[in-house]
Amino acid sequence: MFYRTAGQFKTSYQADHALFPVRQDAILLAVILVFAFAVFPLTASEFTFRALLIPVLIYSLAALGLNILTGYAGQLSLGTGAFMGVGAYACYKLISIFPEMNIVVAIALSGFFSATVGVIFGLPSLRIKGFYLAIATLAAQFFLVWLFQKWSWLYNYNASGAIQVPNINLFGVTVAGPRASAIVQYYFVLSVVCVMTVFAINITRGRIGRMWKAVRDMDIAAELVGINLMRTKLMAFFVSSYVVGIAGALFVFLWRGAAEANLFDIPLSFRVLFIAIIGGLGSVLGNFLGAILIVALPVIISAVPRALGLPLDAATVEHLNIMIIGALIITFLIVEPHGLARFWAMIREKLILWPFPH
Amino acid sequence: MKTLLKTVVLSSVLALGVGIAVPAAAQDDSIYIPNLAYRTGPFAATGTPLMNGQRDYITLLNERDGGLNGVKLQYDECETGYNTEKGVECYEKTKARAVVTQPWSTGITLQVLPKSNVDKIPILAPGYGFSPMSDGKVFQWAYNPPSSYWDGASMILKHISDGNLDSLNGKKIALLHLDHPYGKEPIPLLEALAEKHGFTLLPIPVGLTEMQNQSAQWLQIRRERPDFVIMWGWGAMNAGAVTEAVKTKYPMNQFLGIWWSGHDGDLKLVGDAGKGYRSISWSVPNSETPLMQDIKKHVVDAGKSQISQAEGEFDSVFYQRGLMISIILVEGIKAAQEHFDVRAPNPDQLRWGLENIKLDEARLKELGAEGMLVPFSTSCADHTGHGGGWMLEWDGAKFVKASDILMPDRADIEPLEMEKAKEYAAANAPWPINEECKM
Repeated sequence: MFYRTAGQFKTSYQADHALFPVRQDAILLAVILVFAFAVFPLTASEFTFRALLIPVLIYSLAALGLNILTGYAGQLSLGTGAFMGVGAYACYKLISIFPEMNIVVAIALSGFFSATVGVIFGLPSLRIKGFYLAIATLAAQFFLVWLFQKWSWLYNYNASGAIQVPNINLFGVTVAGPRASAIVQYYFVLSVVCVMTVFAINITRGRIGRMWKAVRDMDIAAELVGINLMRTKLMAFFVSSYVVGIAGALFVFLWRGAAEANLFDIPLSFRVLFIAIIGGLGSVLGNFLGAILIVALPVIISAVPRALGLPLDAATVEHLNIMIIGALIITFLIVEPHGLARFWAMIREKLILWPFPH
Repeated sequence: MKTLLKTVVLSSVLALGVGIAVPAAAQDDSIYIPNLAYRTGPFAATGTPLMNGQRDYITLLNERDGGLNGVKLQYDECETGYNTEKGVECYEKTKARAVVTQPWSTGITLQVLPKSNVDKIPILAPGYGFSPMSDGKVFQWAYNPPSSYWDGASMILKHISDGNLDSLNGKKIALLHLDHPYGKEPIPLLEALAEKHGFTLLPIPVGLTEMQNQSAQWLQIRRERPDFVIMWGWGAMNAGAVTEAVKTKYPMNQFLGIWWSGHDGDLKLVGDAGKGYRSISWSVPNSETPLMQDIKKHVVDAGKSQISQAEGEFDSVFYQRGLMISIILVEGIKAAQEHFDVRAPNPDQLRWGLENIKLDEARLKELGAEGMLVPFSTSCADHTGHGGGWMLEWDGAKFVKASDILMPDRADIEPLEMEKAKEYAAANAPWPINEECKM
């Protein structure tokens, strides 16, 4: 019905390898983008921006960064939260040392700091794999959070040890800080996430992405066909940490407004990892679906009893919420172990064949 | 055409979905008081009795007096789990109707504080938050009555030195604190005082992940042998520290805590072994006062409270402190009602009300809470009131009052408050200062 592929012939290899082999995919994406750029901003309340839309986008971006490393290049990492922290603190220091700096430039530059740190902590990946590598990145997590707490230069010797985002203008509009309006921040985050997503799609579909996948599937074979393992793995760490660093800078500057070191501790890394796993490793779409499930759904569920007028108190709702989300995660992983992206792919296949069962 | 129709229907459903969280329309004849509560998570044990207290005082007013001057108070909780992320979500959720924000965590306070000038909703953080909030000219929308953390630190030092801080010269004082904005609050003041009076300050941070296992920190305490250990702990950290102190046989009469480290439940774990532990407090539990009898009659016995009676929560420090916190808020609302002659004051009017709280001994007696809260009053320049506090001591079964009212050395604190407030305003420019306040 929606996915009628009849009449869409591919007459060249180029067409066969196109980003959207089926026209309806492109239409669907266009509809989603119209929603994201026009419909949501017109209908959403400030609460929706701040509690649903902006966090979903930022978490999706962080998961996308992790997915490049874990899903595409096969290097398990538990240090995402800390790398986000590096991005955030780098952006904070850049803005406080050069107050005149354009925020876009500062965010783009802060990604390089986290990329560098990522490469350093990626070095063990040349010798160890799998769970052992996860432990090595866990060390990064502990070390960096400790550094954020102890190195007071990072938070400008603030007594409470927290970083606070000042009011920052971009072309005369306040985009960050307490005076920024939610809709401006939403558009800013949305634009950055769109640009980064296009970048990620391109890089993963191209030569570099194929090298990563080859290393992920069997690194000895990849080495035998002439792929330089060291460069490929470190490049994966670099690109991944860059994206994660940008997500970290957005996380603090465009959403939270203030942050302390504990924010970037292991729970954040796990949260991003869950998003990537539940969304689907090795996919771009999965990060967005995973973020909707993990970040947005609890907020929506907690609003349901009140909308229906059920007299439940806040703590009960919270307990119910945790149970429902936990059950959903287990259900989704039983139904489709490869994540929500694969789940969507199956639905899409069915839709293409519909109404015929085979 | 059919497809188009379906798309339209689907789109409107989606758009509706985004809109669901829009809060219900404000009710005319009630005052909406949200509380960013935490009855879940690692801090639930200490949070729950406080929230119960806050809730029960509002219930009492609604049940006994039919509200405040005839206007019902609508108390509502939004669960944060002491998580800053959830806290901000709750803030956004409630701010459309709220007359006040009760952030309930220094972390959440730091997040919402910069927004207070924009959203124009007063923040009430009794006994917590950012100590320089006391400077009402800079922090027009934030209140931390009746005593700030710096006041607390000063009072503890005064108490252990018998009023003469110079007698601490050459002594070593360890600050066992949560490694979190809250735990770091007293450090600037203690550092300044250490330099002035010649004692050594030894900050010992406890990370959020090691709250329950503080063996490393207590090993350090055993090695350094400080003359006093002052604790800035919360949640599971208090119980961890007290049990560790008992285990390492640290003398309890040299171990003191801030008001959030004086929870009955934590000390009950060690019972008699905790005898002598002291905690500064701006509230004292007293279940015999008329107020408590009313609460018992109208709320607890009527089955309208959530407290667990089996564990003696009714008599606990934290439950009764929760009541005091609601008293402070309600006094603010009442002042606004009377000054502006309105039934339900708006946030701006409540801001004035909170600046003009006058809780002296006579008023506390009228409320039936004599001796349960330090008397204080606020002004446009002073958003704390600096009412001081009492020292509470654990006698093996409960906390008892162990001193007369102690007052902080404001001369030491005020310059630091001014300086930090100015720094904060500069870092968050443009930051409006209340020029009308001529105090």
